[in-house]
Amino acid sequence: MIAIKNLATILTYVIALCGMIPIFPWLTMFPRMLLILGLISGLWQDIKGNWQLKPWFQNILITPIFLYYALQYSRTNPIQPVISVLTIMLTVRLSGEKTVRHSKQIYALSIFCLASSSLYDLSPVFLLYLGLLLFMVAIALILLTFQSQDAGMLVTKLDLKRILIFGIMIPVISVPLILFFFPIMPRTQLPLWNFLNPLPSGTSGYSEIVEPGSKSNVSASHSLVFRAEMPRQEDSKLYWRGTVFNFTDGIKWTRTLQIPPENIYSNKSTVNQLIFPEPSAVRTLFSLDRPVTISLQRIKLSPDGVFELSRVGGRRINYSAESNNGGNVTQLNNINRRFYLQLPEQFPTRLKELSSRLIRFGNSDRKRVEYLENFYRLSHLRYSTNNLPIGDRVLDRFLFEIKQGNCEYFASSFALILRSAGIPCRLVGGFFGGEYNKLGGYYLVSEDKAHVWVEAFIEGEGWIRIDPSSFAENSGEVWSKKGSKNLVFRLTLAIDSFNHIWNRSVISYDLEQQISFASQLGSSFRGIQPLKRIWNVIPYIVGCLLITSIYFISKRMSLFNSREQRILNRFLKLIKLKFNISTVESGCGLFEVTSVANCSKVSNFVGIYAAAIYHDRRLTDKEYEKLMKILKDMQS
Amino acid sequence: MTLSSRGHAFSNVFESLSQDYLQGKEEVLRLSVIALLVGGHILVEDLPGLGKTTVALALAGVTGLTFGRVQCTSDLLPSDITGLSIFNREEGHFSFQPGPIFNNIVLLDEINRAMPRTQSAMLEAMEECRVTIEGITHSLPDPFMVFATQNPSDQSGTFLLPESQLDRFLICTGIGYPAEHLERLIISGGGIRERIDKISPLVSSADILSARRQVQSVYLSDKVISYIHSLVLATRSHDLIITGLSTRAAINLVQAAKAAAYLAGRDYVAPDDVKSIAVPVSAHRLVMRNDMTANGRGGVIRTIIADIALPLV
Repeated sequence: MIAIKNLATILTYVIALCGMIPIFPWLTMFPRMLLILGLISGLWQDIKGNWQLKPWFQNILITPIFLYYALQYSRTNPIQPVISVLTIMLTVRLSGEKTVRHSKQIYALSIFCLASSSLYDLSPVFLLYLGLLLFMVAIALILLTFQSQDAGMLVTKLDLKRILIFGIMIPVISVPLILFFFPIMPRTQLPLWNFLNPLPSGTSGYSEIVEPGSKSNVSASHSLVFRAEMPRQEDSKLYWRGTVFNFTDGIKWTRTLQIPPENIYSNKSTVNQLIFPEPSAVRTLFSLDRPVTISLQRIKLSPDGVFELSRVGGRRINYSAESNNGGNVTQLNNINRRFYLQLPEQFPTRLKELSSRLIRFGNSDRKRVEYLENFYRLSHLRYSTNNLPIGDRVLDRFLFEIKQGNCEYFASSFALILRSAGIPCRLVGGFFGGEYNKLGGYYLVSEDKAHVWVEAFIEGEGWIRIDPSSFAENSGEVWSKKGSKNLVFRLTLAIDSFNHIWNRSVISYDLEQQISFASQLGSSFRGIQPLKRIWNVIPYIVGCLLITSIYFISKRMSLFNSREQRILNRFLKLIKLKFNISTVESGCGLFEVTSVANCSKVSNFVGIYAAAIYHDRRLTDKEYEKLMKILKDMQS
Repeated sequence: MTLSSRGHAFSNVFESLSQDYLQGKEEVLRLSVIALLVGGHILVEDLPGLGKTTVALALAGVTGLTFGRVQCTSDLLPSDITGLSIFNREEGHFSFQPGPIFNNIVLLDEINRAMPRTQSAMLEAMEECRVTIEGITHSLPDPFMVFATQNPSDQSGTFLLPESQLDRFLICTGIGYPAEHLERLIISGGGIRERIDKISPLVSSADILSARRQVQSVYLSDKVISYIHSLVLATRSHDLIITGLSTRAAINLVQAAKAAAYLAGRDYVAPDDVKSIAVPVSAHRLVMRNDMTANGRGGVIRTIIADIALPLV
């Protein structure tokens, strides 16, 4: 026997915690402290059983705080005062006596707190909290209904179990409805709370400028840049193309606004990708080198194959891309050679010498490139992100003295020499590599995978991709470095695939997908291929079957019946069959059945069964087995 | 285990009685034993010559209890039952002469022939288990059980027991004619009064008292309580009934059901037990809209029982 009131109070605290924990990281110091204090004082008073803090006293106490936050409210700062007030109200209710009315207020405030936490961060964990909260609130409301009738009511374990089952049923039954309404309910294309989320500014790995020699150490975070749903590719071909740098001042490489026109002809088999970038301030759209098309509204395509968002929205987007995975794209028309041969005024002499050696050695662009590649291979260069050359003549010192650098050094020096030797070229910024998540079927590309390489134009072949970093002595160990494939890593990937499904199907689900869903539904109904139509319809049939079966099961309740009820039903059926005694209709008791049937098995059964039932206890496993055996004997 | 073996001893008592001496009177015997086990009283309502007195005598014989008999008539005074003080000339003071009520089992034959004043004196003694005469309170022996009979057919010169006093009887039942083959057997065997005198006791009064304690400890499930309660509620809202069952009636139902379960050798009450005693325990307490006989009342109770689902799970 448990007192309903204690149970409701405990549940109230858990519910309050479910609302508090998600909002807690976003609160300022004062509400945080207040919340903790209120929780502790509430707990202490509940344990002691008397409540020092009277409601009127609390109301007077918090009025100035409310006034303060009301003055804080402004268009630029709309959310912090509101959540502070919410949490302080929760604190006040927690620190007072948990009457039925106050408990209900706590539930409402907890749900509001959880909801406002989603304004800051809508991760799948939110779903977990929401599910927990709804489940517990359902149970708590049932308990409170009892409590409001009789505050001192005690509840048996059996009743408690029944309440729990009902509490679970309410959210569980509503889940299919949620799934049903989610795709069809109207929604806005624009995010409601966009202004609240400041864009994550810049990224440490990928940047819109290439400037070797600015830092001696480069470290990049492992934060995610994008996910790409696609079949697995060869590791050596995982170049994710972003932007193109076409102008250099000798050290810095930048992108000019005017890009000379080119025509791209793709003739190779293409790889389709569906890319889900994380929200960021970067406009560039990444895709596997080299993209042919990217389908997304309001994007800008530059002639050099760079796709950019025309406006940074900061919300989750996704786009499908079609790429030519060879990296080489045949360019039939001549390009603007002069534009891609621009050289800085100052040019390191040793690099100049190298480029003149190139010109002397090879009579075609192809041969010159190969010569330079060989030169890089034989120069014992090392790829490193530490102890990079800085200051003046960085490229000169990188190539001939320090012989150590990251991709920026390799690529910019290589491109500079090529240009000097009369071969049009440009730098391409993007990412190289990525972790393949087999479970979700997508690549995870993080900031530390940022990379720069070279595209050189060779007459008759077009733009070819050259990665000078791959000529480093240690390129093998750096690039083929495998991530630790231990259990933790695999688990992380599994969690990430759940994250991805959430982002994909909940957060970035929008009007377009809704329309495509509807049109898909429509076309699947009047589709031409019957087999395909069946495949489309099967999920809905399964869903309908599920709902109807839940309905019938709950109607008949045979699955929800207790073990006792089931075994009794079997017994009564058997009795009717063997002895022609209809017990239920005639209102016949079990012992009357025994005396009428006059059979030792029947009296054995009734003896064991009734002893348990009329002692107000469940059948033990042993008894149950015995009864089953008797039933079996009776049947045979 | 002791409980069921005790219960077994008592079921032996009434089995041996019904098989060896009182053929065809199992039901009234069982109900008498139940009344004995609960400490209640029984009213047997039937025609003369069906063995009411024999049953009472046999019960007294088999339990080894003392037996007193009062033949009620309209001039029977209360002191004829309770006893009175008589002046003892040799010793020079009044000494109390206990009446027939100072026995364990008292047969009040044709109770409806006694005057209301005498009836109420007897019934008070039944309720209180003690008698006050001339300012001195005398306790009645324990166990104490009244075995009253009344003749329903001969109504002239009788005083019907009022409802409030009928309520004091735990059980009211008839005996009925025995089955044909049994009656032949009885006719051929002749009277059994002499044989009954020679019955050797199977249980002692101490056994009865300890059995009563065990009956009280028989487990009563919540389900059975709600079953009894719904039965009581149904009698209160029935069309043919003016006054339904009282709370005392409900308590008596529980007591009798416990004793019935005990007799069946169980340490818990099953709804079947309630069903088996519901008519004898409750029928006589109902006040019917049109004057119904006891049989009619029993029929009403039976239809009410048939309408209430037995708790099976």
